[in-house]
Amino acid sequence: MGSYLIRRFFLMLLTLFGISVLVFTMLRVVPGNIADILFDAAGMIDTAEKAKLEKELGLDQPIAVQYVQWIGGLARGDLGYSYVSEKPAIDEILPRIPITAKLAGLALLFAIVFGVPLGVISAVKQNSGLDYVLRVISLSGLSMPSFWLGLLILMAFVKFFGTIPIYSNAPGGFWAALGLYSVPAAAVGFRSSALVMRLTRSSMLEVLRQDYIRTARAKGASEQSVNYHHALRNAVLPVVTVIGIEAAFLMGGLIVTETVFNIPGVARFLVEAIRWRDYPIVQNLVMFIAVVAVSINFLVDLLYAVLDPRIKYSG
Amino acid sequence: MGTKFVALATAILASLTLCTAQAAEPKHGGILKIYHRETPPSLSIHEEATFSVNIPAMGLFNNLVIYDQHKPQNSMSTIVPELATSWAWSPDNLKLTFKLREGVKWHDGQPFTAKDVKCTFDLIQGKGQDKFRKNPRKDLFNNISEVSTNGDFEVTLQLKRPQPSLLAMIASGYTPMYSCHVPTAQMRTHPIGTGPFKFVEFKQNESITLTKNPDYWKKGLPYLDGIEYSIIRNRATAVLAFVAGNVDMTFPTEMTAALIKDIKSQDATAVCEIAPINVNTNLIINRENPPFNNLELRKAMALALDRKSFIDIIFQGQGDQGGTLLPPPEGVWGMPPDMLKTISGYGDVNKDRQQARAIMTKLGYSADKPLKIKVSTRNIATYRDPAVVLIDQLKSIYIDAELEPVESSTWFAKVARNDYSVGLNLTGNGIDDPDQAFYENYACGSERNYTHYCNKELEALFDNQSVETDVEKRKKMVWEIDKKLQEDVARPILMHARSGMCWKPYVKNMTIMRNSAYNGYRYEDIWLDK
Amino acid sequence: MASIDIVPGPVDTVRAEGVWSQIRYHAAAHPLGVIGAVIMLVFVFAAIFADFITVFDPIRTNSLVSLAPPGHTHWLGADNMGRDIYSRIVYGARISLAVGLGSTFIGCVFGVALGLTSGYLGGWVDLVIQRIVDVLQAVPLLVLALVMAAALGPALDNTIVAIAIPLIPYTARVVRSSTLTLREQPFVEAARAVGMSEFRIAVRHVLPNTLAPLIVIATAQLGAAILTEASLSFLGLGVPEPHPSWGRMLSESAAEYVRTAPWLVIFPGAAISLAVFGTNLFGDALRDILDPRLRN
Repeated sequence: MGSYLIRRFFLMLLTLFGISVLVFTMLRVVPGNIADILFDAAGMIDTAEKAKLEKELGLDQPIAVQYVQWIGGLARGDLGYSYVSEKPAIDEILPRIPITAKLAGLALLFAIVFGVPLGVISAVKQNSGLDYVLRVISLSGLSMPSFWLGLLILMAFVKFFGTIPIYSNAPGGFWAALGLYSVPAAAVGFRSSALVMRLTRSSMLEVLRQDYIRTARAKGASEQSVNYHHALRNAVLPVVTVIGIEAAFLMGGLIVTETVFNIPGVARFLVEAIRWRDYPIVQNLVMFIAVVAVSINFLVDLLYAVLDPRIKYSG
Repeated sequence: MGTKFVALATAILASLTLCTAQAAEPKHGGILKIYHRETPPSLSIHEEATFSVNIPAMGLFNNLVIYDQHKPQNSMSTIVPELATSWAWSPDNLKLTFKLREGVKWHDGQPFTAKDVKCTFDLIQGKGQDKFRKNPRKDLFNNISEVSTNGDFEVTLQLKRPQPSLLAMIASGYTPMYSCHVPTAQMRTHPIGTGPFKFVEFKQNESITLTKNPDYWKKGLPYLDGIEYSIIRNRATAVLAFVAGNVDMTFPTEMTAALIKDIKSQDATAVCEIAPINVNTNLIINRENPPFNNLELRKAMALALDRKSFIDIIFQGQGDQGGTLLPPPEGVWGMPPDMLKTISGYGDVNKDRQQARAIMTKLGYSADKPLKIKVSTRNIATYRDPAVVLIDQLKSIYIDAELEPVESSTWFAKVARNDYSVGLNLTGNGIDDPDQAFYENYACGSERNYTHYCNKELEALFDNQSVETDVEKRKKMVWEIDKKLQEDVARPILMHARSGMCWKPYVKNMTIMRNSAYNGYRYEDIWLDK
Repeated sequence: MASIDIVPGPVDTVRAEGVWSQIRYHAAAHPLGVIGAVIMLVFVFAAIFADFITVFDPIRTNSLVSLAPPGHTHWLGADNMGRDIYSRIVYGARISLAVGLGSTFIGCVFGVALGLTSGYLGGWVDLVIQRIVDVLQAVPLLVLALVMAAALGPALDNTIVAIAIPLIPYTARVVRSSTLTLREQPFVEAARAVGMSEFRIAVRHVLPNTLAPLIVIATAQLGAAILTEASLSFLGLGVPEPHPSWGRMLSESAAEYVRTAPWLVIFPGAAISLAVFGTNLFGDALRDILDPRLRN
């Protein structure tokens, strides 16, 4: 196990290196840079001023040199400056992370709180009316564009409460913040809860059919205790996996939801930074997200090992 | 004598309307909340070219002179003193002298003097030590040969040739006074002005916060304690935020007729106004590449345009037909309707198209053998939608066009490379003024003259109208030039946009400018009746 | 991932005369799947016969009927540019199908190639391919699509590619894990024993046996691709004009017309949701049928 961990760790570093190269080159393939965009509104591009600006930002250097400069800076903990605000990139990125983290955390919580129990119920009552209703609801959660769901929620709020939970100024106090975050979190979490529910259902069904459950039943364990004790414990495994996958998927949902609910988190910030071609922000932010995603996958694997002793580590 | 009387009458009328508008005693205090449509590139007005910057930043600054903020139509006669107490032209119209206000302080406590005025013009003309990173309007002030100070409170601009429009350019929201002692880099991140509001904070994608300048030189102003702009990228969310009362006012120019109808249905008390914003949608035809180097073909294309249909479809009727300059009554310099009608392409659409088809047949095209072209435009709805309509209209004259959406950030680079045959473009005018419109868009060799239309005779006429001090005479000259530009198919103007904004009824003293979207945001005497 | 990490057995050989009875049998067991299949068929029909079942040109503008409500001439109304919404939705089915099928196809072809090579050959090839897959997977799907869409420029085929690329690692992983198990199966050993080349074994024996999970993913991705296109449209980077894209129809009119002309919003919204819902229902049933573990 120890050598497996070390091996996994080095592979993780390799992956992160690959991501840095990918993101870096991709950004430079995208047409237009910050200078083009800054001049754009004026209706013309002053070539001399543009060249000067590119030189100032180091965009005139060969790509390889720019890459080495970036990674070198990263190693020293220097993320560079945002091209747009001219503030240190770290000061732009850091304060926005907790906002998105809270939203994502609440969304996952929502997904688990609704997804797992409903999935269990749906599996236990397989092919009943209730099962069909739950499955249709969960599928409809996966069928709606997330911006559309978000807008519908906002419109309903205006209609029924006369106010909307959007982040027009930073909320004060714990409850105010919770109130503000919970609605968009529910909008993101709806999709994830549908996924979790479907997954819980199918793994429950599988587990319920296995020998030891039959044995437990034969030994006279009550129906309920079999369902909720034995089966659920085994069904947790795939749910842990889906959380790992959802972490990456969630980001997509977060981009749209942060835009609709106007939450100043990193997800929307990333999209805006791509629009501005604000390389220091995009590069570092994508690296940050990648580190989180890769670490979550790593943890999920570990959790897998702990939860399921049947998994062996050969490779 | 006659003009004096008119001036007096206008003054009385103006004061009367002002009285009725301000019937209630203004109240001090409160934070005005406005949504902002996007993160502006910076708050340094001189370096930027979008009203996304002017709107939040104008309150930080003052100009030498400014368009009266409560006269909806900007014109020479609505220019009032601000940091200058008065101005005077020399008899040969080559010197413009400003007497400056004493006792004005920058937000950091330094006194405002004539040196700052000189520094500002040096920056614009690129003469100073410090330089702007971007300088989009330097060409507007090419005619200034020298700026000289006489003591701390008098400045004289020396011109190469007479140019009455210079005063209009100085009165624009685009021309605030910068100081000598604050570097341009700081002006982008933490601007220092003399205006009614001080800069507090600018968070990308989040907010821009301004607070009251307690030492503002206009005693008793501003009424507001501050202004807070929440940046809301998604317009649907922004509209809901306004209806729900999270903001007191929408972003200027962002509300369409449909949105206003929607807002009114949810909040009947909302005050909404639609006005021209002096932005026109135009057709750029690359006259250097065949077959478009043929004037006949370009004329046929101009004849195929159904401008009313454009306005009905794109703006639900909220737009105007006109030439280069914004049409009256809102526009000061646009051709009168009777004259406009005489230009080919502005008359009866069916007749014009018949004529266009005749030209096309002569050139060898027909319904079975249409001319295949590409219409390029930016991949943004405000550009793309009119292009879709254009393509549809061109079908009527045997032109089979295909839309080529272009990644927005590369649009102007593509146009500058001449890498297009037919394009659809939007042109915004900071001030309603012929000099800016003509020189920028139609002068030979100008960078914004995308179609490379070059007519030396006409350019001489540009100069003639520019030196003319008699407004009425100048208008007639401008009309003739504008007419000629349309007949030459220099850059067919499809329509002039109108758009609107809404505010809650307790926001008082708001005046919407009717011929520019760049100049009316000082907001020093806006107050909240709460 | 667990949901589709299916350990497949050898493909069932279904005798020809048994196909219909099999379908009948499965249809009876999965009524929701039948509903899904019907919905999908309706959209496919609309996409194929769009020219015959519409009267109006979907890109023809007409100022006279701008924002016309649903009625006799314009069954589902007209949009702000006076374009017939019914026609746009029908032709939009074509675009959505192109986006869904195109991106799923590209994603699967590359994913299968990578996954099969990786799983079958193992060793350093596997290591390299797995790193590539890891890299693609750690960058958020929508961000990848967003950057790709911006890099490739606004066009229908580019949008399809942009949506396909994030699907590759997903498919590759599933195919690889099936291949890993299959490699050791007796029938593969047998093929090797009779002297079949490794390439032929991979293509003839291993690939067909990965089909079951592949079909399941492909159906799921069909719906996901349509939703991703809608999200890209919302962020201004989806399928560009003049193609009638449901995503753009919904995202661009959602703000302005939801109350004043709701038909601009309701119908494209319904089209997207219904199409994705249908593929999901169908995909669910397929998974139940193809997943041997869940078979009763």
